[in-house]
Amino acid sequence: MPEGAVAASATVPTPGRAFSLPWETAVSLLVLAAIWEVASLFAPPFAVPGWERIGRAVLGLPLDSVAITLARVMVALVLSFAGGLAVAVAMYSVKPVERFGMPIVKLLMAVPVVCWILFAVLWFRWAEMRIAFVLVVVCAPVFIVDFLDGMKGVSKDLRDMMWSFRPTRAQFFSKLIIPGTLPVMFTSWKINLSLAIRVVTMAELVGATSGVGYGLVVAQEVFSVAEVFAWTLVLVACLFATEALVGYLEKRMLRWRV
Amino acid sequence: MKPEEIRVEGLQKRFRTANGHDFVAIDNLDFEIKAGETVAIVGRTGCGKSTFLNILIGLEEPSAGRLLIGGKTPYGDFDRLRGKMATVFQQDRLMPWRSALDNVTLGLEILGCSRAEQTERAELWLNRLGLGGHLHAFPHELSGGMRQRVALARGFALQPGILIADEAFGHLDEITAKTLREIFSSLIREQGNTGVVVTHQLEEAMELGDRVLVFGRPARLRADIPLAKLTQAQRQGLRAEIQNMLKED
Repeated sequence: MPEGAVAASATVPTPGRAFSLPWETAVSLLVLAAIWEVASLFAPPFAVPGWERIGRAVLGLPLDSVAITLARVMVALVLSFAGGLAVAVAMYSVKPVERFGMPIVKLLMAVPVVCWILFAVLWFRWAEMRIAFVLVVVCAPVFIVDFLDGMKGVSKDLRDMMWSFRPTRAQFFSKLIIPGTLPVMFTSWKINLSLAIRVVTMAELVGATSGVGYGLVVAQEVFSVAEVFAWTLVLVACLFATEALVGYLEKRMLRWRV
Repeated sequence: MKPEEIRVEGLQKRFRTANGHDFVAIDNLDFEIKAGETVAIVGRTGCGKSTFLNILIGLEEPSAGRLLIGGKTPYGDFDRLRGKMATVFQQDRLMPWRSALDNVTLGLEILGCSRAEQTERAELWLNRLGLGGHLHAFPHELSGGMRQRVALARGFALQPGILIADEAFGHLDEITAKTLREIFSSLIREQGNTGVVVTHQLEEAMELGDRVLVFGRPARLRADIPLAKLTQAQRQGLRAEIQNMLKED
């Protein structure tokens, strides 16, 4: 590129596009819905309820249960994020912390979610504590591993450049390592959102008296199949909405990416 | 900030290789750079220029001897030398998430300058380097030459006592490199910084330096050549002499 010329190929993504629905997505979802509707005409209603029944069930769902579940997810994710970031910074800064800590993190990741739920029931009496424990113990290790990888991925060239200005350790992290890890952080948030929404439902199934998971138990006990599908639909919609929100923030904050 | 002198006394750097042997990267270097003087260091690839630079910047500690900047060691007195040195690297090393303006303010932020002062000085230097119309452009929106100008502005904006250029123009096309060398040379003289230019290009060394230090392998001083009073013919002769020195190495 000649000196003085601005890169013509450089495009800055527009933040608003994160909320738009690509037509391919719309088509595939509509096709799936049509197949479901056709199947409902032939299968018994307790196995495959039609959209009309599911729609009526959705309208009858208590929305406060959805709000409670989402609040649990968000609180647990914020706690996991803060804790995960602190541990990753410690591991990045002090090598022995990584050498001794990483095996524990990997052990936590290897334990099945169901086991954590059973441990939570055995160890804690308060339902909110049980759910928060399960979510944090499942999501925080993912944040730790991702953040540490992201921090190590900041190029040596940039690290040397930064040290040449002689920053304090806090400045080194706040001005280079954390901004340099931001793309990985967003990816990790998206992975953990999906994980947390699935895990919170399981935790609520056995340990709560409110929320979507609890609603699913009640629906199953009264054999309301349409309501089970309605709850499922709401959960998926919540996941899509929160992922779209994170995607929107990602595009706004990472607009420097080509 | 006033220019600083650099004293190098019996400097050595050894590394332990993977098979347990000692590798000598720098072997007993001795020289002095006066405050306000620009010295160009030339040597073939692998002669220890980068190791010397890492010690000068404070990224590495010498194995023996010492390097003093105004009486302070770059590694041991890390905090006390903050704001006194700036480096322009081979690649621009701009932070891709910061605009040109915010890249230039980086050193000033680390120094603790007020936001108003950061912006004022960054704008001033970007304007001086011809980038007044690109203050808020991200690095990927600029050409290679423009990015290197931002890197130069980042160095000069700090008003450091010592300005270091590490192969800063070697990766650019000849016309852009020549333009930037001229800008660098005139600014460093105008600002009165002590300059250290590390390069493998003899032409560049002779254009920018008041003196040329020729490094042999492992980094030891083979020649220390003042250029100030030389005629054009003497320079030509000297160029051939240094080239021979480098070939022998």
